Amino acid sequence: MTVLGYLANGLVFSSIIVLGSIGLSLVYSIADFANFAHGDTMTIGAYSALVTFGAVGGLGGAVLGLPYGFFVALVVGIAVAAVVAVATEKLIYEPLDVDSIGLLITSIGIAFIYRAVIQIRFGSDFTRFDVRPLRPIEALVPYGVRITLHDVAIFGSAVALVVGLHVLLQYTDLGRKMRAMADNPDLARVSGIRTKRVKLWTWVIGAGLAGAGGVFLGLFNQLAPRMGFNLLLVIFAAVILGGIGSVYGAMAGGFLIGMINQLTPFFSNVVEALPIRPNWLATVIENMITIEYANAIAFVIMVVVLLVRPNGIAGEAAT
Amino acid sequence: MSLLDDPKAAFADLSRPERWVLGVSVAFVLFLLVAMLTGALGPTYFLFLVGLAGMYALLSFGLNAQWGFTGLINFSVAAFFGIGAYGTALMTASGSPIAGGFSPLVGLAVALVVALALALLIGIPTLRLRADYLAIASLGLAEVVRLIVLNERWLTNGSAGLRGIPGFFDGWPVLSTFPEAMPGLRLVVIPGSPVILETAFWQAALNVLLVLAFAGAAYFVLRRAHRSPWGRVLRTIRSDEDLARALGKNTYSFKMQSFVLGSLIMALAGVFYAHLNLYVGPGDLDPITTFYAWVAVILGGSGSNRGALFGGIVIVTIREGTRFLNDVALPIDPAPLRLLLIGVVIVAVMRYRPQGVLPPQRELIWPSAVDGGGTPETPDSGVRERKGGDDDE
Amino acid sequence: MSEGALPKEDAVLRVDDLQKSFGGLAATDHATFAVERGTITGLIGPNGAGKSTLFNLISGFYEPDGGTVEVNGTDVTGMEPYEVAEQGLIRTFQTPRKLEGMTVREAMLVGPRKQPGESFLTLFTSPGTVAESESANLAEAERILEDFEIDHLATQPATDISGGQMKLVELARAMLAEPEVLLLDEPVAGVNPTLAKKLKEQIRRLNEQGTTFLLIEHDMEFVMDLADPIVVLDQGHVLTEGTPEGVRNDQRVIDAYLGGGA
Repeated sequence: MTVLGYLANGLVFSSIIVLGSIGLSLVYSIADFANFAHGDTMTIGAYSALVTFGAVGGLGGAVLGLPYGFFVALVVGIAVAAVVAVATEKLIYEPLDVDSIGLLITSIGIAFIYRAVIQIRFGSDFTRFDVRPLRPIEALVPYGVRITLHDVAIFGSAVALVVGLHVLLQYTDLGRKMRAMADNPDLARVSGIRTKRVKLWTWVIGAGLAGAGGVFLGLFNQLAPRMGFNLLLVIFAAVILGGIGSVYGAMAGGFLIGMINQLTPFFSNVVEALPIRPNWLATVIENMITIEYANAIAFVIMVVVLLVRPNGIAGEAAT
Repeated sequence: MSLLDDPKAAFADLSRPERWVLGVSVAFVLFLLVAMLTGALGPTYFLFLVGLAGMYALLSFGLNAQWGFTGLINFSVAAFFGIGAYGTALMTASGSPIAGGFSPLVGLAVALVVALALALLIGIPTLRLRADYLAIASLGLAEVVRLIVLNERWLTNGSAGLRGIPGFFDGWPVLSTFPEAMPGLRLVVIPGSPVILETAFWQAALNVLLVLAFAGAAYFVLRRAHRSPWGRVLRTIRSDEDLARALGKNTYSFKMQSFVLGSLIMALAGVFYAHLNLYVGPGDLDPITTFYAWVAVILGGSGSNRGALFGGIVIVTIREGTRFLNDVALPIDPAPLRLLLIGVVIVAVMRYRPQGVLPPQRELIWPSAVDGGGTPETPDSGVRERKGGDDDE
Repeated sequence: MSEGALPKEDAVLRVDDLQKSFGGLAATDHATFAVERGTITGLIGPNGAGKSTLFNLISGFYEPDGGTVEVNGTDVTGMEPYEVAEQGLIRTFQTPRKLEGMTVREAMLVGPRKQPGESFLTLFTSPGTVAESESANLAEAERILEDFEIDHLATQPATDISGGQMKLVELARAMLAEPEVLLLDEPVAGVNPTLAKKLKEQIRRLNEQGTTFLLIEHDMEFVMDLADPIVVLDQGHVLTEGTPEGVRNDQRVIDAYLGGGA
């Protein structure tokens, strides 16, 4: 594959990571804890869409190689993820009498419950959406870019969702309140913002985006009960890279981490071509920059960011 | 101590959860004993379960030293456990691709050194930051360690795992030949179903001895370290790190010590496991181990060593109970069932009893200072204290 | 700059041209003042004058953008809070910190600095030393609790006592750290008048025994009665410094308070 090819793949994968990292960052800043169930919220979205798509079928026509029914399934996936998240907030998190660390630990329990229920119902094997796999777009193949119309659909939908969120944050009353709460929850409360409601909407938006990300991840790869939890590390890396609590930082972080993840094989080619001395160092580096270690690279980036700029690339350089 | 002199008074002195736990524990032990004597439960399997409980207790001790004492969120318990297991296996196993054939004591030392290095590696970037950064980074660390073990075949044999690990006491005088030397015993408690004790039983007994030694040593160290000015600083950090800093405590250093200590104890559990199972593979690094330890610690009572011990027993019950259920009653895959149980227990504990079943109840003051000149009156509520060296924490 | 600064011969704390801004807003704006040994120095100013930020800068919780802090002649600028504390500067917090699961005397025992038992190795190599210092510290803690007339609380859970009692315990614990200079952040905020009076007596008694205090307080009556001199902070810089009488009659101070809306 050419550099362009890797970049195109990176763009598609980044779209998914960005959808995940925005939600995680929103919940982090407004509900004030690191939600370890966020990855499994993505899984919920994916499996809800799977069930819906199985039930409604294609519904006639298709856009970008995806039947209408799939878009219905996408909307249901988003809705179910949001509803489950709100129910969890209402039934579990809100009545808890613990601090943000206690919430973090509780969210691990929630993550396991989500995943266990899915695994009991659907088994632990991989499945796919019942859509016809497409061939890469002919016109792009000469440039070494092998992406399908499905990939274009993923990218386009993600861009639409991100732009929608941007408009919501900047130009609506709810968005202003959300930003105020993220900046300073106490101040927001005393200035009359009904923080509980804003928090609920945060869950709806954050989990909804995660649900969409899950559906697209299922389309991009396949579905498995562990798909979301496995992605959690990458999403956290994106959020930390962008600076915890910053939505736009999370977009940038998600974009970078997604790109780096998909560009790993390209980097390993580059490293092989470089005249690195001594030889053992070259061997070690070549060994580490391989597709098996794509997640590990995200981790290394995260640790380096924590060492150098704990507030993320966009944040102030202070501890 | 007083338990032997006056069991009734000792029982009356216990709090309600203590009585409850004691009752359940006694019932459980009786159940196991009856099962064993009637032949429903093989004595060797019984000892295997005891060994496993000891192993989980060790893991829980380690996590308790981090989360319970200091409030450090470590989601890579499985990685430190795996490092312990692989560390000793790579040094001792006949199938080791790098070294092999060394004494298990060398394996133990190497395992601890590698675990120490790994603890520093993850501690240095995260322990200066807020508690949730360690949580996130350690989740990543667990994944990276698992990936390395899986992919670096020249080092770890990859997915094939390591075979030919000797028992811990192989090559030791007396102990190495002890299981063979012991006569086979045939106990008849209930006519018709004799209990037979053979070499395998004595081998298992030896393993239990080993885990008791490990757990006993860890318990001794943690107990002394916790009820001391050192443990007091850790608890202060847990509730309010800024306060500890304002009072002149180098909290980064204290957090690092607590993190390293806990990680070493987890590695110790891994060392025991490798010499119990005689085989290690990448599957042993499954993150579920991490969350078994978490359930044990928060259920038992964060900061309480005896709580961690109790939690360790509960974990074996979940693990083996789901296996038993699957074998006997329900044809449900035990894996998601365990996951569900872990999730439900975590949520339920945080909801209904965030302090755990047996929360720590002692003042963290050096025992002799309180016993010597201290005021022995009983406080009105909350934190209770009793004089003397009773060993229930 | 600090126009009204008094000459200080034996300053235990010296703050020189300290600056800190958050997101472009100057919270501490070239603040300069000193605390003379043996005094109770008051630090007042309208809401948002930057008093707490200044405390955080002095005690090492914030890193200054510029300027220096000296404790006992040692430059502590940019040091970690624990290193500043090692130089003899101890601070308390505005909202009393709750130590969960600790008794009052246990919470007190966190106070003494450099306890041998705080070294993990010493616990095992030399338990005798640990026991000795622990007994001494415990006796000292109980003595101080008696002085503060709260010894009956010694074995109570630290979370079960009243807010005012908590302030007393904080002060008592800080004394166990044997501070050269003690920074108190609103010692009587939310404390009932009886306990506030008691706190005032204790601070005065400790001052007579040699401890230097720097305290932030909103209760004007309290601070005017206790502190001398008084440093007035406004919009991050030192407006003036003087005796309670002088400050009270200073038109700039009155304007600052009226302008600040407080």
